[in-house]
Amino acid sequence: MLPIAKRNLLIFFRDKSAVFFSLLAVFIIIGLYALFLGDNLVRSVGNIDGGKTLIISWVMAGILAVTSVTTTMGAFGIMVEDRSKMLFKDFSASPMKRSGLAGGYIVSSVIIGIIMSLVTFILAEIYIVSVGGQILSITNMLKIFALLILSVLASSSMVFFIVSFFKSQNAFSTASTIVGTLIGFLTGIYLPIGLLPEAVQFFIKIFPISHAGALIRQVLLQQPMETSFANAPAEVVETFMLDMGVVYQFGDYTIGVGTSVSILIVTTILFYGLSVLNISRKSA
Amino acid sequence: MNKIIQVSELTKSYGNVHAVKGINFYVEQGTLFAFLGENGAGKSTTIDIISTLLKPNSGNVLIDGFTLGKEDNQIRSSIGIVFQDSLLDPLLTVKENLEIRGSFYQLKRAALQIAIKQAAEIADINEFINRPYGKLSGGQRRRVDIARALIHTPKILFLDEPTTGLDPQTRKNVWDTIKKLQKETGMTVFLTTHYMEEAAQADYITIMGHGEIVAKGTPLELKERFATDLLKIKPIDEAELSETLNRLHVPFTITNHVFQIQLQRTIDSIEIIENCKSNIANLEVINGTMDDVFIHVTGKGVES
Repeated sequence: MLPIAKRNLLIFFRDKSAVFFSLLAVFIIIGLYALFLGDNLVRSVGNIDGGKTLIISWVMAGILAVTSVTTTMGAFGIMVEDRSKMLFKDFSASPMKRSGLAGGYIVSSVIIGIIMSLVTFILAEIYIVSVGGQILSITNMLKIFALLILSVLASSSMVFFIVSFFKSQNAFSTASTIVGTLIGFLTGIYLPIGLLPEAVQFFIKIFPISHAGALIRQVLLQQPMETSFANAPAEVVETFMLDMGVVYQFGDYTIGVGTSVSILIVTTILFYGLSVLNISRKSA
Repeated sequence: MNKIIQVSELTKSYGNVHAVKGINFYVEQGTLFAFLGENGAGKSTTIDIISTLLKPNSGNVLIDGFTLGKEDNQIRSSIGIVFQDSLLDPLLTVKENLEIRGSFYQLKRAALQIAIKQAAEIADINEFINRPYGKLSGGQRRRVDIARALIHTPKILFLDEPTTGLDPQTRKNVWDTIKKLQKETGMTVFLTTHYMEEAAQADYITIMGHGEIVAKGTPLELKERFATDLLKIKPIDEAELSETLNRLHVPFTITNHVFQIQLQRTIDSIEIIENCKSNIANLEVINGTMDDVFIHVTGKGVES
């Protein structure tokens, strides 16, 4: 398992274009905000203290959630390539456990996801501070770190499930383009969830990675919200949190931290399980 | 001699396609064994089965004393495979590739380093060991592939068309490496090839056709059995030569004023030449080749 994981890490980080493309969705989102969406959003929150910091922190939180998906997807690209180039033949002819092979790909995708998410997080923090925001407290940084790991695990399991269906490079490229494009909508980060129709909101709320997004927002926005809404009435804060997807509500039920974390954990277990089933179904 | 590979009644079908139809053969330890056959004859399927990559429908395979299907991991440890296509990582250096693939075999770090050194030595790849695999030439890659197959000092080395697609000079280099390695290590080498002059240098040849074994033997035996020598004579007087040959009861054909005479044995040519010495403008005796054997055996379908 470890030799395979080590190999995948070496290959991923040596292929500069793979690293770049795994972050493509991130660059697109930043581009969208820098060019048009950003100003609108800042204006929409009205003339409040630290409005820009608030919005930028919100965007960065969304980006962090998306990064976990796109980078693990990039990491699994190695697996699809190995399969299409029949590299599996070489591995299968070695005295290595079959489960070790799958495990190797999972471990490497999780490590790659965490490394890339951390890099994104550091860049995001630098950006937030550069526009006048405050640096996160140590406790919150640790929280973000834990959330990134959780988010990467859930994403990696879902991506692994999708990838377990693909045998050709082409199918994978197409899927990763589609995922890269859709993920911004699915997690409600292109547009605040409050601006979207009910039906779309529903899909966002049941998509597991949206919960990673919400959890990360809760931590990243904590301090900016305190500044911006220092004198605001409670309803204003609540509306903001619901509109921006800091918390989700089903009807009158507000989803708490515990529930969101559980959703991510269950997703991880469920999809790794399904993927293993899918793979063993094929080899039988 | 110890039989290091024993295959009996091996079958494999893909739906209605019977790729391997109950074949039997064995390979003696320390020999250079050539496995021939046209494309689609079932060679690759057989190799995939022997190397634990494919499950057979029925039959028994013993490799180095281990039973296929039961002791697959032991088999995997005692075989090395050079695949038809390169299966190493182009972005990584040769050394990194060898280190990673070597670590599949549960070797200790120090032992692995020594193993890599030895494999690199035998395959003669030290010159470019720190270059990315993807930047190497075809021949260099092939030698790295061989080194990869040797890392865990296997008892049997499988080579699936190791020289296909290489230029003649490189082909010779790769082939020399294989011969040298077999001689020096006494390893059993099991190879498939499309080049008959290579097969002719093997200790033993098995030819497959349509999922069955159609001929087997040493190159010499096969040539004697399936290839005939050819005597070509360009006479001064054609009529006279026809008469001489008819008198000797030797069948012949004439193409472009050249008489073509099939010989069972090379030595038979002497008698014919003796009898028409004064009438010869030019002559040539062509030995039967492995090409003839191959075409004869596979062309006519199942024989033997």
